Amino acid sequence: MVSPILSQLNRPDGSAAYKCPATGYNILGAVNGPVELPARRDALKPEEATVEVFVKPGTTTAGVAERYVEGILRSVLGKVVLGREKGFPRRGVIITLAIAGGENMDRGDSYLTILPSLLHAALLSMISASVPLSMTFSAALFGVTKTGDIVRDPSPTAAKASVSLHVFAISSKGHLLLNESEGRFDFDTWELVHQRALSVCQGTASADGDVTMGEGAASASLHGLIREAVEDQIYSDYAYKLDSI
Amino acid sequence: MQSVTRPPQNNHSDTALNLDPTILLPPGYYQHTYMQSGNMSAPAVLLPSDEVPRDNLPTDNSNPLRLGPGLRILSQPSSKGSDHVLTATQAGMLSIDAKRNAASLLTFPNRRYIPTVNDFVIAQIHHSSADFFHCVITPHTPHALLGQLSFEGASKKTRPMLKQGEMVYARVQSVGVGAGAEVELTCVSAATGKAEGGMGPLSGGMVFDVSTGMAARLIRASSAPVENTDPIEGLVVLSELGRKLESLGGFEIAVGRNGKVWVDCSDAAEGAVKATIAIGRCLQETDQQNLHAHDQKKLVTKVLRELKLVS
Amino acid sequence: MASSATTGNPMPPSLSMPPSQFARLQPHAYLRAHLSPPSSDQPSVRANGRATSQFRVTSVNTGSLTHANGSAVVRIGDTTAVCGVRAELLHTSDISSWGVSQAPSKQNPTNTNEAKDSKSEDEDDQGQIQDLNLLVPNLSLSTGCAPGLTPGAPPSALAQSLSHQILSLLHTTNLVRADDLRIWYQPPNFDSEEFHNPGEGMEVDTEQSGGPEREIKAFWVLYIDIMILSMAGNAFDAAWASVLAALRDTKLPNAWWDDDNETILCSDDFAEAHRLTLRGLPIASSFCCFEGDAAAGWRANVIPDAEEQKKKKGSQQKWILADPDGYEEGLTQERACVVVDKENGKTIIVKMEKHGGWNVDSDDLRKLVDVSSQRWDDLKQALEQC
Repeated sequence: MVSPILSQLNRPDGSAAYKCPATGYNILGAVNGPVELPARRDALKPEEATVEVFVKPGTTTAGVAERYVEGILRSVLGKVVLGREKGFPRRGVIITLAIAGGENMDRGDSYLTILPSLLHAALLSMISASVPLSMTFSAALFGVTKTGDIVRDPSPTAAKASVSLHVFAISSKGHLLLNESEGRFDFDTWELVHQRALSVCQGTASADGDVTMGEGAASASLHGLIREAVEDQIYSDYAYKLDSI
Repeated sequence: MQSVTRPPQNNHSDTALNLDPTILLPPGYYQHTYMQSGNMSAPAVLLPSDEVPRDNLPTDNSNPLRLGPGLRILSQPSSKGSDHVLTATQAGMLSIDAKRNAASLLTFPNRRYIPTVNDFVIAQIHHSSADFFHCVITPHTPHALLGQLSFEGASKKTRPMLKQGEMVYARVQSVGVGAGAEVELTCVSAATGKAEGGMGPLSGGMVFDVSTGMAARLIRASSAPVENTDPIEGLVVLSELGRKLESLGGFEIAVGRNGKVWVDCSDAAEGAVKATIAIGRCLQETDQQNLHAHDQKKLVTKVLRELKLVS
Repeated sequence: MASSATTGNPMPPSLSMPPSQFARLQPHAYLRAHLSPPSSDQPSVRANGRATSQFRVTSVNTGSLTHANGSAVVRIGDTTAVCGVRAELLHTSDISSWGVSQAPSKQNPTNTNEAKDSKSEDEDDQGQIQDLNLLVPNLSLSTGCAPGLTPGAPPSALAQSLSHQILSLLHTTNLVRADDLRIWYQPPNFDSEEFHNPGEGMEVDTEQSGGPEREIKAFWVLYIDIMILSMAGNAFDAAWASVLAALRDTKLPNAWWDDDNETILCSDDFAEAHRLTLRGLPIASSFCCFEGDAAAGWRANVIPDAEEQKKKKGSQQKWILADPDGYEEGLTQERACVVVDKENGKTIIVKMEKHGGWNVDSDDLRKLVDVSSQRWDDLKQALEQC
């Protein structure tokens, strides 16, 4: 599995490159914050930081779909950022996510397939920029096929063929931070996918036989993946400190 | 002769991580909260919302525990009154200083410089007005103000006439409040009225850009006692350069927290330019390649040989 | 004298204030005070007098715009959305990729091998609607529909994201059948005798064996324009209901390919026009979650784990409000939206989303689905009455 790369860019305060191995989306995220947002001073909240998200598609200009997904990301990330820490009130945290690789999005395409990659890239960029956060999270995409099988991270073509698509973001404390589901399904199916999402993100072995298939036990949890990426980067940045110990 | 300009020992700018003195826990606070158990071997990396492992904290209960940025204390309301937990808000490596009774988080170092009071910075004069020099300390930010008279012994008549592009080594005096606040610099110590630690205009020499993390490392390394021969902060590049260039007359160096290093070797006569460039290259390479102590020595030898400074 | 004494000593200002002022000064405390039930056995009542899972009165009116092929006005409380559907022709000769995209689909062996014929047809037409952009929704917020909207500004992020939500929902629900939008042409069999009588051959759309293959000459493109006349919260539900009502109202004129003029002709006879046959009736219900503790973000408290949070359900600190009005939307961050359809009495979820917080968990979502399916019954009645 390709590990995400943190702090790749020099200019922004924090950056991360995240490539989803299954869907092939490659997201480059950059975060600047806290920065002054001069033009919008009246729109700023006086007591906390304003989180702005920009999504840039690789081949076209951003359209209505990007506005929509930006809104979702803003509401998820804005809840996680501790915007009242020192230096943040009245300022902005600007998150720019460029879709650097993967299938092109057509007009009216569902943005669900790319949403987990965008969330991961945004989170890692914010960690890299040392933006104070109340918790971390990880996200996963699931497709339910015609036969009722739950497929993790379906490819864009498989996602089109599936009966329903689900995206879950689970916080490091097990909260359901985000759910986006579409297609045709009933609540029991959703609950099964939700359980599966919890086990994929948190890495807890699921006792339910239905939801553990297709994946080897060796595959690490997504929380673990995020943690490893951060640890690797910190250990390499502070290699000189570790040597002296 | 090697002379290394050192900023003075200062509680705010030189300490490991800008300890925030406002967060002080009462003595003995962690005694009842945290249980003692075995020691951790590798330094722990914390992610936001991770709890600080209780057994890692210093147990000296005579002084309050100091928390660095990236850590915060949270209360956990429970049936038995409220309990306290230390959690991280940023990702970083936990660093415990038992002597100073401090806990802090080493976060990602390569960040934009945000002016903090008492930091030493290298500023470039952009233009001057009646009362102030307008200086650039970081690109694409409003200019910082340096008073025309905030130099050692400066009066209306004796003040330095700095032109556009000249460099000064200054201290951040205030950063203001709220959005659009102005950063003010000074070149004298408020207590003594003297230019301590080499503050003032930097004439000659050359300025190199390094990362802010590297600048902080250089400052910490240079503030360590001279007799300490072990590599501090894993940096041997400066002492190695000092040893090898001693024959040429040594060099002077000033480090600004805004990621700028000023190097001057004017004593080295005809080799001055070469030596300056060699030092700059060594520092930048060490920074960019994240070199270990062993590689730093190799680099110094290689660079000096390439520039034909040392046979 | 007496009058001057009274003006000199005015009544001391009352320390109590009318509810409307309280609502403006302390909006969070005001709503919280309303929601906190006086005793544990009484249900919570919102500031607007509704129960927590009660929707506003909804009225639907269709066919209000005479120049559109279909139109509807939906009013949910004070939120009003107008939707007009206009059909325009798209000639296949104008689609640059038409010849290319058609060829593989005909040769596609899966179409013939697939046992479920209807399903494969579904997928086929979904592809055409999306690939050729046969549905073009556009939502605009009219000037003055809500305070803070300045005239002449480019479409706000809200309007753009609502447009996308509607388009995305139209695609995922497969609401419109591509077959309703196709204009077929059966080329006459030049060998047969009918060739001499083209007028009849064109009108009669029967399968002729042995003749040249039937081909699509044009598509109807539906331009779905939604305008929010007045926005008092929950714009999406109103906009989607108006789209649904307008599409149900849409009548497309009878159109055919005239081989002599090499153009499409439409009949002006209203009786010949046909309605769209929509797939199902997906109905959206939006919710928001109101947190009891206004200063939760300020408190340095440990955020409880999801499981601890579940255990502490007894001490209610949140209220999930159905169909939030503008006042309630301003006080909440966490949103949920459930779109359900019913088939033979069984509830099918078409879309479910929640974001902006961590208070709504799976148990809550289960309840929301139940509320949404009740809402489906109510709104279906309203849609069918008009």
